[in-house]
Amino acid sequence: MGRLTKTFMLGAALLGTSALATGCATTAKGVSQSAVMKSSQTERLAKEVPPGTVMAVVRYPAHVDAAAEDAYYKAYGEKVIGGKWSKSRGDLAEMHALADSMILKSNYFALSLYKELAAKMPAHNVLLSPHVIKLGADGKLTSEPMTQAESLPNVVTVDFASYTFPDTKKMMGKEPLTFGDLVTPLVTVRTDHRAAAPTQGLLMASAPILPRAAGNGRDAVNESLSIMQTGRFKTSAPELDFVAHLKGDQPMGVTTRPMGAARPNSVTAYPLEKIQMNKAELASMNEKDGGAVDPLKTAFSKGFANQIIGIINRTDVDKAAMAGRASAISNFDESLAALTLVGSRDADYQARYRYAERLMEAEQKYLSVQSLRLFDGVHNGEMGAQVRDMLKAEHKILERRRELARKQNQATALAILGAVAAGGAIASQDGNNSYAERLAIEALIGATVYAGTKAFSLKRQSRAVGSNYLSSVVPALEEQQTVQVNLIDSNETITAIRFEDLRAKLQTLYNNKQRSLDTVATRCGYTHDSGSKTGTWLGVCENGLANGTGVGVLRNADGSSVEYYGYAVNGQPQGPGYMITHTPTGSYSLEGNFTAGRADGAMRLSKAGQSDRVMSYQAGQQIGKAPSGSVVASPFKTGLRPGDLAMANYGVN
Amino acid sequence: MKHVLTSLGALAAMSGPAFAQTETVQVEIAPTQTTQFQTAGASDVAVAAPSQAYCVSIMSGFPNDDTVARYQFFRLTQDIAQDATPQFRATLAQYGEADVSQDTPILEVIEAIANPVLRQAAPEMVIGYMDHLIQFEDRCETYISGQVDSLKAYDADLVWEDPIIAEDALFLRQVLSDSLDRVGANNDPVHSFAAQQYAQSLITTRDNMEYQVFVSDIDELETLYMTDLDGRLARSNDIINEEMDREVLGDAVILSDDMNKAAREQEKQRTLYTLIRILGGGY
Repeated sequence: MGRLTKTFMLGAALLGTSALATGCATTAKGVSQSAVMKSSQTERLAKEVPPGTVMAVVRYPAHVDAAAEDAYYKAYGEKVIGGKWSKSRGDLAEMHALADSMILKSNYFALSLYKELAAKMPAHNVLLSPHVIKLGADGKLTSEPMTQAESLPNVVTVDFASYTFPDTKKMMGKEPLTFGDLVTPLVTVRTDHRAAAPTQGLLMASAPILPRAAGNGRDAVNESLSIMQTGRFKTSAPELDFVAHLKGDQPMGVTTRPMGAARPNSVTAYPLEKIQMNKAELASMNEKDGGAVDPLKTAFSKGFANQIIGIINRTDVDKAAMAGRASAISNFDESLAALTLVGSRDADYQARYRYAERLMEAEQKYLSVQSLRLFDGVHNGEMGAQVRDMLKAEHKILERRRELARKQNQATALAILGAVAAGGAIASQDGNNSYAERLAIEALIGATVYAGTKAFSLKRQSRAVGSNYLSSVVPALEEQQTVQVNLIDSNETITAIRFEDLRAKLQTLYNNKQRSLDTVATRCGYTHDSGSKTGTWLGVCENGLANGTGVGVLRNADGSSVEYYGYAVNGQPQGPGYMITHTPTGSYSLEGNFTAGRADGAMRLSKAGQSDRVMSYQAGQQIGKAPSGSVVASPFKTGLRPGDLAMANYGVN
Repeated sequence: MKHVLTSLGALAAMSGPAFAQTETVQVEIAPTQTTQFQTAGASDVAVAAPSQAYCVSIMSGFPNDDTVARYQFFRLTQDIAQDATPQFRATLAQYGEADVSQDTPILEVIEAIANPVLRQAAPEMVIGYMDHLIQFEDRCETYISGQVDSLKAYDADLVWEDPIIAEDALFLRQVLSDSLDRVGANNDPVHSFAAQQYAQSLITTRDNMEYQVFVSDIDELETLYMTDLDGRLARSNDIINEEMDREVLGDAVILSDDMNKAAREQEKQRTLYTLIRILGGGY
């Protein structure tokens, strides 16, 4: 065992370690086009909504309340998406910087989606709803909207966040990342559960957060039913689905389908993907263009906006907005709110409803101005410019790391080749090698060791590039967050003060101009098909029981619950109606004629994973497929007669 | 003098489709102006010709010395005739009884309808006068529209949706509806439906008018608040953005570059040291 052997053993050991440890470094690649771009078709918006109803609200995490920061960082480190991460092995300061930058980027990229959606829809039909992540009354994370955007009826809400895996060491790997030219969107699209009963309103969600988004939807349904049981409509805006994921809310199973697949009444699962924005577009962003170049547009936003248009076109917008509308109207006219669910052609109702719509339209326009100014302040302001600077700087960092990774890969390859060659040389030595040969072998081993060491070094450098950037950029991140909060706060404060003022004036105008309603909505008993008076009816009542149009809610002892929209007589569904049944295993809906509380005749049945079917029912029992051409009665088709609100015997067949 | 000329001018202008004759006529609309109309040939039948004499006769009873007054009366006549279906006109013919002719000045007719004594004492006369106006509007709609358009073209300040005219018309229609009720039309099996439909249409018209006022108030409020909000937010955005220090990010990036350079040097040293140590035999 001379010097040569000793050197060989050391080198082989080092080489073995280095080859194993460094492996083949990845270069942080992403897909150039998101799955939403590939599967989207350019569609024109084919639906219309009445005044005061907005098509889409874009919700995103905009700020973390100081009291919730620790809980947010902790949850961000624990509820990791796209890989495994041990907090004990990571750098907490870096993780916090990534968590902060995630909020900042979500703020910025949500605006790209807003811009694309707004371009495809009529004016004032897209609103921004920034959320603050805070601690709820139970001490757990939650989020609340910072504006009133969600107080108006809408067809869909879109949650957007851009995600980054909480470990900079994995930055070059396959883990999700939003840094430089890479973006990992987390999205959900939902409508009101009345328009998509089998999925409880959830229409599309990023796969990793889908179960908790479904759980969040179920919670919203439960809250809505509970509130209606108290005689009101107003529910709080649900927390962001990303926050529901972070806090580890109870997940819920739901029928899903991959993007582009045809499976009715199911939730589209959007795969987790790391999208690589166009480098040329990224490079062309400059101070002067004010954000006119949007690299996310061609990679994601445009396609996602098309997906949302398609979703809206396939959504029953009346059912989607009816509860939101009743809730908004209840702010200034409780006696009208429940009547709007089904509607009427009564002159007094029509007159009053028209006023209510105009009032909501005024609020809609007002909130739309706020969204536009929020966009302007963030995207076109200094903050937007700085985010673009940041993206460019990050891109340079990423490119540097990619370069180092390529060098590392070359060094690794050299080390492996050298090891093979050295191994061959040593294998052939029989003790008779000349001095020159021994020197050559020694040099070869030396070069191999050097290549391995170099690979190690490059890897360290690569990590340092990312870590150093994140460490140094923390003050800039903090400043941007402050500005962001100020912009939203300013919008919120100014809008809130003026909004309350406007609302009071609108209320006065409304009160001064109203004629009385012949029939008003109140709260009374509702029984479904059993004899006991267990439920709550909001609508037209007589003798303490449902008698006319409205909504009935009841909860059964087995944990299931039923909500019914339509006509009732003596406390029971009677006539055209829409009934949604929620069970612990899922929800389904029936629309058609009801007699004495039971489905009776041709009914449209909507169940998860199945196409809507028209089935025949008798006394609440399904007796087979309805004959071809059967007409399904609907409470929402207002081919109604004057006096229909209080029609005591509608539908007595 | 100007108003007189205008009225005459308006009359001349409206007669484009109406005064269909078989020869070229010259209408003097002012001492210094002459307008020529090329009229239809002998074989042409003008659409409005059968009512021509009747319409011209009644229109001559409209105010002709004031553009605004003339316009208001024509618009009032149009509004009064709203929702008068053929069935309703039959009801008016059945219950109306008034001594009114083509030569009765319009002002006299309207004053009679609005007269509270007459309304109380002789509702059938009120119905008769209203019938007279509605018949006139029905038969002479082309002439009336021509007059309204011409007067609007002459005076841009005249508005189509004049709330005062609409309010007056609704008042007169309400008088008619009440009069029909008083004479028992609402209980007449033949005419009750038409009379009740008409009464319902008055509610709808009233609703629409009130809604227009409401919309106008809301529009005003909306504009005021939106403009105010937009201005406030724009100013606020500017102030906040001005406070932002773009240097911070630039400094951070430079710092990051410096740190990376230092890290590179450190790694280079570490690599050399490792290599020397290995090749040097482990020390």
